[in-house]
Amino acid sequence: MKGSLVIAERELPAILRSRQTVWILLAVASIFAATVLLKWPESGVASLSGDQAKATFRSLALSMLAAVVLIIPAFPATGIVVEVRRRTMELLLNSPLRRFEIFTGKAIALLGFVLILLTVTLPAMACCYAMGGISFTNDVLVLYGFIVIVCLQLIVLGVLVGTFAGSPESALRCAYGCTFALVVVTLIPWQFLQGFEGWMGNYAGLLRKLSPITALLELLNDSGLETVGLSTQENLFAAYLWSAAIFVVVGSIVCISRLNYSLLDRSRSQGVITDDRTAAARSVRRVFFLIDPQRRKAGIPGFLNPVLAKEFRSRQFGRLHWLLRLIAGCAVMSLLLTLATTMGTVDWGVERIGGIIIVAQVALIVVLTPGMAGGMIAGEMESGGWNLLRVTPLSASKILRGKLMSVMLTLMLVLCASLPGYAIMMAIKPDLQQQVIQVLVCLVLSAVLSLLLSATVSSFFKTTAAATTVSYGLLITLFAGTLIVWANMNAPFGHYFVEQVLSLNPMAGALNAIRAEGFESFNLVPRTWWISGSACVVLLVVLQLRIRHLCQPD
Amino acid sequence: MSSASNPVVEIEKLTKRYGEFVALDNLSLTLNRGDILGFIGPNGAGKTTTIRILVGLTRPTSGSARIAGSDCVADARKVRQLVGYMPDKFGSYDNMRVREYLDFFGAAYGIARKQRQLRVAEVLEVTNATWMQDRYVESLSHGMQQRIGIARTLLHNPDVLILDEPANGLDPQARIEMREILLRLASEGRTLIVTSHILPELARICDRVAIVANGQLKALGTLKEVTGQLTQRRTFEVQCLQSDQLPAVENIVKQFFHDDTEVSVSTAEGIVRFRTSASDELLSELLKQIVNSSSLITQFRELVGDLEEAFISATQMSASAEPAGAAK
Repeated sequence: MKGSLVIAERELPAILRSRQTVWILLAVASIFAATVLLKWPESGVASLSGDQAKATFRSLALSMLAAVVLIIPAFPATGIVVEVRRRTMELLLNSPLRRFEIFTGKAIALLGFVLILLTVTLPAMACCYAMGGISFTNDVLVLYGFIVIVCLQLIVLGVLVGTFAGSPESALRCAYGCTFALVVVTLIPWQFLQGFEGWMGNYAGLLRKLSPITALLELLNDSGLETVGLSTQENLFAAYLWSAAIFVVVGSIVCISRLNYSLLDRSRSQGVITDDRTAAARSVRRVFFLIDPQRRKAGIPGFLNPVLAKEFRSRQFGRLHWLLRLIAGCAVMSLLLTLATTMGTVDWGVERIGGIIIVAQVALIVVLTPGMAGGMIAGEMESGGWNLLRVTPLSASKILRGKLMSVMLTLMLVLCASLPGYAIMMAIKPDLQQQVIQVLVCLVLSAVLSLLLSATVSSFFKTTAAATTVSYGLLITLFAGTLIVWANMNAPFGHYFVEQVLSLNPMAGALNAIRAEGFESFNLVPRTWWISGSACVVLLVVLQLRIRHLCQPD
Repeated sequence: MSSASNPVVEIEKLTKRYGEFVALDNLSLTLNRGDILGFIGPNGAGKTTTIRILVGLTRPTSGSARIAGSDCVADARKVRQLVGYMPDKFGSYDNMRVREYLDFFGAAYGIARKQRQLRVAEVLEVTNATWMQDRYVESLSHGMQQRIGIARTLLHNPDVLILDEPANGLDPQARIEMREILLRLASEGRTLIVTSHILPELARICDRVAIVANGQLKALGTLKEVTGQLTQRRTFEVQCLQSDQLPAVENIVKQFFHDDTEVSVSTAEGIVRFRTSASDELLSELLKQIVNSSSLITQFRELVGDLEEAFISATQMSASAEPAGAAK
């Protein structure tokens, strides 16, 4: 245990010394202070019923969960990879420290950071408590205990991802992808399948118990919540605690077992080329890959932007052979869902199917885009490639066009994959044509906005990891954060406020257009188009100016 | 390619300031076609700043830099076609094979596809790297990456090659290969500017040397000229036919100078070696005395100056000239 403290003593000050940490703590403190201020009674006297305090407490609790979900995964995920890259992991593994101590040391340091983060929220929580109506032991202490457990789960998840990842960027992508899956995606099936008998309904019910959102909502005991299907007689809080405890124990064991020399012993493929293999191997690979990444490629055609070709060839995430599989999967899934409805095997209705396809597509966009666009400029800065590009005759606009198009084409392919599904929907219900067009416009805007946001963020950072983290944070806030407000409609947020917030989210626009459950009462289209479109134009202008500036002599 | 009579690189009163800090101070130098300039100086001396100005990555505060008559700031696009630049950081892209990597940069320089394929094959051959064309760039060793870096700079057939620390981190074998590649390129008529901290290596390949310290040019010329400028003492060797004559020659040298001239004897080589700041007239007088003595000598020669010594002299001079408390 002494060894764990040695690690923690080194790690915690290192986390606290970074400028990002200071900004994070400042931002959290400001947001929590603002939340209390917004809810503070105008007359200076709180109502005896305690409704105001409860509403404030609810907002603070949700903000706290959102804050830890957005902030925590980045630290453990990159921690291990950075140690491996800097070769300090070699020193640790060669020291008398045991693997268990290395893991717990890191976890203690991160928990220390979590406690500091939570301390920053205490003044806001104290104000809320002072308003009366909430219990210190039953509400405040339980909430903080719950958030610490969520953080512990996210820390284990992050470290686990870090032991598999080869680079800080991929660690971030996977960590946020897994966190997003754990917190949000687990709720989606229930959103569409609640009330269903049979295995699908059961699985959806089981899955949602894994999400901390479900547990938190039960903790808040919010009967006024309009979040469909979340009010239940089951003890969802206890179920989540059990699942988190099992995850932490099993995850920690796996993490400790993976902290060994295999982390340092990852040989890089020297590059066996398919053209040099036997005819049989070539044939198999042709069928298996469709576009074989190992074949010898022809030169970049003269008409093609070389940066576009380079981006497709050099990125690990989103290479063509994987994209084709992904798109094929999307197309098959959307077709199956639509066919199931058409043939009457599932009584879902077009709106529900459309909702699932929209959420799945935007989830893909959110997972894919920062991974591809986050390192667009920052990655070049980090590797030294940017200076090489600057000394070529390529203009700033050509570089930017090539980079943006490389991601945009990928995202468009993902969107196109669902077109067969929409086509069948329109065949079933021809009057849906207008709605489907509106949905497609919203989805295209979601993709363009995600891309431009990530690319702009990338142009302001010098490391891919930082740019990717910030991009994920912003996109998750935009697409999932606004849905938290929606999930709390009427308690505490009113319809008008929710509508205003949802206008920022083009995915909400798409769900509104398809008349998905819970979104029928809003009038988001075309307002969300104008807002997203304007944001895209502003981001594009900022990005162009930034790239032009970066291409100028220093 | 520019004509041989005109200077290829012209740097005139180049100054770069970052706030109060002067990175480059009135630096001027000229290079002709086929010159190999060894550009040396301590860390932070202004080498990289000069190079970055030449390739259009940094704007000078004042002064000008021209490549083949084109201004590095005003005609930046033209200069990019004239210069091949290899920074000290390689700049690799993940998942790209060597051929793809070079193909991309060839396309970036606007070389047509068919011509590009031939060119990629040519530069790989020049740098002895054809065998690694299908390897992933990031899986290559440092020495191999340096070769690919040079191949990349050659793609668009530039007049001037600017190589920042090409020998850095290379093993002796790779260093020899790098030296051969650079000499071959110079023999093709290209002008090379090479920075390095491995001074004996530079001394072997460069026909001109520029030493910068604190942003100022401390010495410029051939290796002999620079060492002459910066080192006050020259080293001479007197080779005797028989080793038993060495003490006599040693005595003559010692008695002739009567000062702090360092004299040493290598019995194994049959050589008396001495370092002196004496003029050529005095040295011819010494030679006359040795010849007139009974000693049989086979050679009396001056050794080529040591670049390391010149470098240390230059940096010491600049350190003593620097005002107390001056900080970067």
